[in-house]
Amino acid sequence: MASKTATKDIITLRGSAAIVSEFFGYAANSILYNRGVYPEESFARVKKYGLPMLLTQDEGVKSFISNLTSQLSEWLEAGKLQRVVLVIMSKATGEVLERWNFSIETDSEVVEKGVHGQRLCSPFTWIESDPKLIANPQMVKLHSFDTKIHKVDTLVSYKNDEWDEE
Amino acid sequence: MILRTPPPRKRRADSQPPEDVNNNNAQSPSSNRELLVYEDLPVPEYSHDHSIPITSDQMLCTYQCRQMVKSEFFDALSSAEKQVHDYQSKFGALNEDLSNAEQELAAAKGREQMLQEQLRKEVDFSQEQLRKQIHSFSELESLQQLKPKKASLLEEKLSILSESIDREKNRLQNELLQMRSESKLSVSRISADLERMECKATNAEKESALLREQLEELKKRLDECMQEKFELEKKSSIRSPEVPSQDTNLLLKHLQEELRNYESEVREARKLKASHEDIELLKEKLYEEKSRRERTELDLLKLSDLQLNVKRLEDELCTWKSVVREIPGVSSADDILPKFAALQKEVVDGMMRAGDAQARMKEIQVSLDAAILDKQNAETEAAMAKERAESYKAEIKQLESVLGLITEERDRLKDVVKELKERTNLDGGTESVSGTIVQELEASLAKKENYVTELENSLLEKKEINSRQQNEIKLLNERLANEARRVKMLEREGDRLRSEISLLESKLGHGDFSSANTKVLRMVNTLAVDNEAKQTIEALQNELQKQRKSCRLLKNLKNSHVSKMDLSKPVQCGFLLYSFSDAGTHVDSYIAGKIKQLKEQIATLEKREERYKTVFAERISVFRRACCELFGYKIVMDDHQRPDGIPVTRFTLHSIYALSDDEKLQFEYESGNANIVVNDYTSQPEISRQVDIFIRKMNSIPAFTANLTVESFNKRTLS
Repeated sequence: MASKTATKDIITLRGSAAIVSEFFGYAANSILYNRGVYPEESFARVKKYGLPMLLTQDEGVKSFISNLTSQLSEWLEAGKLQRVVLVIMSKATGEVLERWNFSIETDSEVVEKGVHGQRLCSPFTWIESDPKLIANPQMVKLHSFDTKIHKVDTLVSYKNDEWDEE
Repeated sequence: MILRTPPPRKRRADSQPPEDVNNNNAQSPSSNRELLVYEDLPVPEYSHDHSIPITSDQMLCTYQCRQMVKSEFFDALSSAEKQVHDYQSKFGALNEDLSNAEQELAAAKGREQMLQEQLRKEVDFSQEQLRKQIHSFSELESLQQLKPKKASLLEEKLSILSESIDREKNRLQNELLQMRSESKLSVSRISADLERMECKATNAEKESALLREQLEELKKRLDECMQEKFELEKKSSIRSPEVPSQDTNLLLKHLQEELRNYESEVREARKLKASHEDIELLKEKLYEEKSRRERTELDLLKLSDLQLNVKRLEDELCTWKSVVREIPGVSSADDILPKFAALQKEVVDGMMRAGDAQARMKEIQVSLDAAILDKQNAETEAAMAKERAESYKAEIKQLESVLGLITEERDRLKDVVKELKERTNLDGGTESVSGTIVQELEASLAKKENYVTELENSLLEKKEINSRQQNEIKLLNERLANEARRVKMLEREGDRLRSEISLLESKLGHGDFSSANTKVLRMVNTLAVDNEAKQTIEALQNELQKQRKSCRLLKNLKNSHVSKMDLSKPVQCGFLLYSFSDAGTHVDSYIAGKIKQLKEQIATLEKREERYKTVFAERISVFRRACCELFGYKIVMDDHQRPDGIPVTRFTLHSIYALSDDEKLQFEYESGNANIVVNDYTSQPEISRQVDIFIRKMNSIPAFTANLTVESFNKRTLS
């Protein structure tokens, strides 16, 4: 019976990791569309989660996001992921304008059951970086969702514009 | 010790034999325990076999004696019944007292609860009042906070107004200056006009003087001409008065007409001149009037603007005056700023005082709560003391009543004793009987006294129980108060923790992390790099294709021209051949050069590869030998293909303490998981047992190998 529950938990962990990583993919696409990072005509409409979602048709961006989501899925299965941050920076000045922060809480019991002796190391396509924080940001908390194994909280920080203060 | 032997079985079934079941006899635990009925039979039947005949005469009593005993018995019975009745009544009274005490206790508890509720209501009321006061304080604070804002707003308005007033003043001054300058200009113009007029007048006078002089001259000439004419006429009349000359008359007439014409012309000229002068004067006047009219119109427009400005300034002045009037202690605009500063200071002081007052109020609240609790406690203690006093009083009354009853009984018994004594005096023979009766009565008295003491003891016990209960109630109240205080503290801590949690959540949401257990990574292969790489790749590919095309063209050209070469025309063809062969040799040399380079590269790479291989072989052999030395197993790795065709890596371990070469362990390694392969050695019972324990149950191959190593080492060393 123990093995049955263990296998059930492993499958659920994998499924949850897949759901959350897929969500990140769609979230990244939505942010790129809504914040005007890429032009509107480069996005195509699809149906997902019962809503019309916009996905980029640029091959480079698509491959980038798919590589990203596959790596995130691995890390989520291992329970090593604490947070995923999408940073929008100015191309000219390199200044951080917006910081879309997805913080993840993982159920450690399920992860311990599912992971036995998995040795994880960061692949060579990922390097260490600074956190790209914004000084004195304006913060807006958005909706969170929970798969009973992974809980994702969303928060966006953006630069405090002088005009807003006036 | 009375031995009770069961009777012969009369009431039980005959089939069952009688058994000797005795309470004092031990029975075997395994025997059947059957239920036997005991029957108390009259003494003679239970007696032993030998019976003593008892004479009936000895058992007979006298009738009198029996009657006396009976009467005494009945008396004693009645008295005992009375006593029982009394004791029952006393018991009932005590029960009633106890129930009363319980009711009083319940009533006291109810009163206590009511008092508590009242106090709670009072506390709530006081808290509401405090809250209202705090609310009013907060409103005052907000008003005071608003005051500096209003003061700042008013200051801003003041500054703006002062600036506008200054601007207006400047503008008005400028206008004044302009007006003055204009007036000066107009004055100068008017003076210039005056001078011009004066000049004209002087010129006109001069002209008139000249004309008068001319007129006088003309008159003189006329007079001279008239004189000459008269003289001529005289002369003519003297010379020939006979010959009247028509010519001279005509001349005269002509001259006269000319004179008249001249005079009329002169008059017309004068008139014209006068009219010209008038016209010029009028023109100048008109011009002046026009200019004046324009000036007045401009001044009128300016006047309306000035009037509006004046009105606005008056309104501002009125508002300023009203502001000055509203602000106490201010008489002029200069006093406003220091007054505002003073007001701000007052506001700050007021806020500080409000803070102090709030702190004091909180202290007072705390002390009020403490006082309320103390009051509560005192009230409960007072109520409990009252109850105790009442209970003591009731007990005293009870005891007094008991005492009264006992004295009554005593008196009655004394009377009975007296009567008996009298009876004994009357009947001397029954002294012994009365003595016994007295003894019995005394015994009953003693019993009653004992009973009374027992009742008193029970009363004391109940009192003690009551006091203990009241103490417990006190303790519970104190505990209740402590728990309430703890609850408040916990609520405050909870609020503080909630605020801390919200602060930490905001920090976490912002992106704070601990660098000790968190790594921040980003993807290297960004889109820009990808794009650049793609672009370079595409460019290289295009170049490669172009190069290939050019190579093919050159080859085709070379081949086609070499094949089409005509030997009959050696010169031209030779020339052509030379030229194409040049190109071909160029291509060939280029290609040969490339090939050489590539071959050299290949050679270097092959050398490098061999060097790497040797180095790797050395290192791996060192590693393998070290592993063997450290872990005690020679490991051989080879690739194997499973029956289903999947290639898999197989490791064969041979322990250095193995007694034979057949003692080999085999493991299959596939995608991070190692599985043991069953062979002859592992199918041995000892080894298979170890495999079951360490690998199957505990899922640890290192433990299995280590255990095997230790066992082999032990075997070796022992052998």
